Amino acid sequence: MSQEPIVRLSNVTKRIGSKTIIDRLTLDIPSGQVFGFLGPNGSGKTTTIRMMVGLMSISEGDIFIQGISVRNDFEKAIAYVGAIVENPEMYKFLTGYQNLLHFARMSPGVPKERIQEVIKLVGLENRIHDKVKTYSLGMRQRLGVAQAILHRPRLLILDEPTNGLDPQGIRELRDYLRVLTQEEGTTVFVSSHLLSEMELMCDTVAVIQSGKLINVQDLKASQVGDQASETMFEVDNPAQALDLLGSGRAEGDHFIVLLNREQIAEVNSRLVAAGLKVYGIQVVTRSLEDQFLEMTGGGTIG
Amino acid sequence: MGNFMGLIHNEHMKIYRRLRTWIMLGLVVALPIVLGIVVAVNTPSSKPISAWDIASELNIIYFLVSIFSVIIAADMVSSEFTWGTVKLLLIRPWSRAKILLSKFIVVLLFAISMSVVFVVTNLATSFSLFPNLPIEVVFGGTESGQLLLQVFYKFVDLLVITIFSFMLSTVFRTSGLAIGLSMFLLVAGNILSAIFSPVKYDWAKYLLFNNMDLSKYEYMKSAVTNITTTTGMSLGFSVTILLVYVVAFLVISWVVFMKRDVAA
Repeated sequence: MSQEPIVRLSNVTKRIGSKTIIDRLTLDIPSGQVFGFLGPNGSGKTTTIRMMVGLMSISEGDIFIQGISVRNDFEKAIAYVGAIVENPEMYKFLTGYQNLLHFARMSPGVPKERIQEVIKLVGLENRIHDKVKTYSLGMRQRLGVAQAILHRPRLLILDEPTNGLDPQGIRELRDYLRVLTQEEGTTVFVSSHLLSEMELMCDTVAVIQSGKLINVQDLKASQVGDQASETMFEVDNPAQALDLLGSGRAEGDHFIVLLNREQIAEVNSRLVAAGLKVYGIQVVTRSLEDQFLEMTGGGTIG
Repeated sequence: MGNFMGLIHNEHMKIYRRLRTWIMLGLVVALPIVLGIVVAVNTPSSKPISAWDIASELNIIYFLVSIFSVIIAADMVSSEFTWGTVKLLLIRPWSRAKILLSKFIVVLLFAISMSVVFVVTNLATSFSLFPNLPIEVVFGGTESGQLLLQVFYKFVDLLVITIFSFMLSTVFRTSGLAIGLSMFLLVAGNILSAIFSPVKYDWAKYLLFNNMDLSKYEYMKSAVTNITTTTGMSLGFSVTILLVYVVAFLVISWVVFMKRDVAA
């Protein structure tokens, strides 16, 4: 899984006029993951993605996809990529099938059977021969996913894919992405400002603010393993519990202490043995949202 | 990397899967027929008109082909931007230069096909409704040669205007401006020529509209106010100027299209 990264952004800078939109961004995207790209509105997510897919020029630095420079060898590098940049805009006067045919013709080696396969995957069999202007937003999104994966890209780039989707649509999208990473080995690079969404979808998240990379965090690693985490006990007398254990802190009617899994059970039995009433035990995980707000400092749009 | 014919096929699909294209085609076919019938009905059998004369008169309708070519060219690039589909079009394994080339070729093919359809309809209408009588040949050569030359001069103007429209479409990404300015040049060209006449101002002979309508060199050959003697302009000169303009339009289109940051 951790071979060479599928995408390398090296000192990528974008300047428009005198304004620096992206400032020396360096980032490796490992293969086979769902990689999140998180940042508040205006932080430069979309600009970075536009540079990755060649819609915008790169002022300085370079982006390598499978080791191929987007700047110098765009046609080769982009062949590995499927993307939806913001909303998937299709030719509305064509049918869904004609739209797919259009994009299939632009990539080498996409037979008709592959088009059928993709239509089935996104569940558009019944409406594929209707004009796109009759489609709902959710169906357009599905068609968008279909055109992006037609040529079996190694890398799928999705910019704000859940914008305007209803909860069911978001759920479906998440399921496709899982299927793609697990069954086809596609790496997915997805940008969003919706934290909870990213938490559910991604293996790793990179946080960007004002065009600068702030942090890269492995979400899966923080969930497994037997590290000590803050555990909250709801008890009738927190002060007494504090005396008993000699560590931790009392907060209202809660008592919080740093424990690992085994220690939680142990502490619980000691509390009970000491005659304290334990109403509840909970591991306090700081949500991505807390961490994000902490990192971006509440975030002024820069 | 893929097949360039695929790109041509795509651009054709985007033109011919639209109803308006077929309306255009319908008008180009219907108008010569309707006009031909009207003239035929009102012509007394005692004074027959030559089919060649009718075909020559019906050539005025070729103006319609110019308008439609301008419209298609004006939409070619700008519509991808207004639809937002340009974001999906440019992230394929094709350089922007090749994508623009496919669009340009399809515009040319459209203009040529429409012209052929028009000429065929025009001749078929004229010769099925009117007798094949010899006419006075102004340009020299045969009747058919003269007619084709007439169409050819108009076709040259059409190409220049269409490429102008294609450039505006690429640069400004709005079809309205491209159609408006191109049609203005096409319609007001004669008026502008009268105001900025190369007879009055020497520099005016380098202006685009003064070099269009190459047929003037044929018609005015024998005239006293010969253009070549009064202004020093000749057929070769005008052709060169037109070529310079066309190349400039194309260079601007390509440079702008390849450099542009797509943010829409």
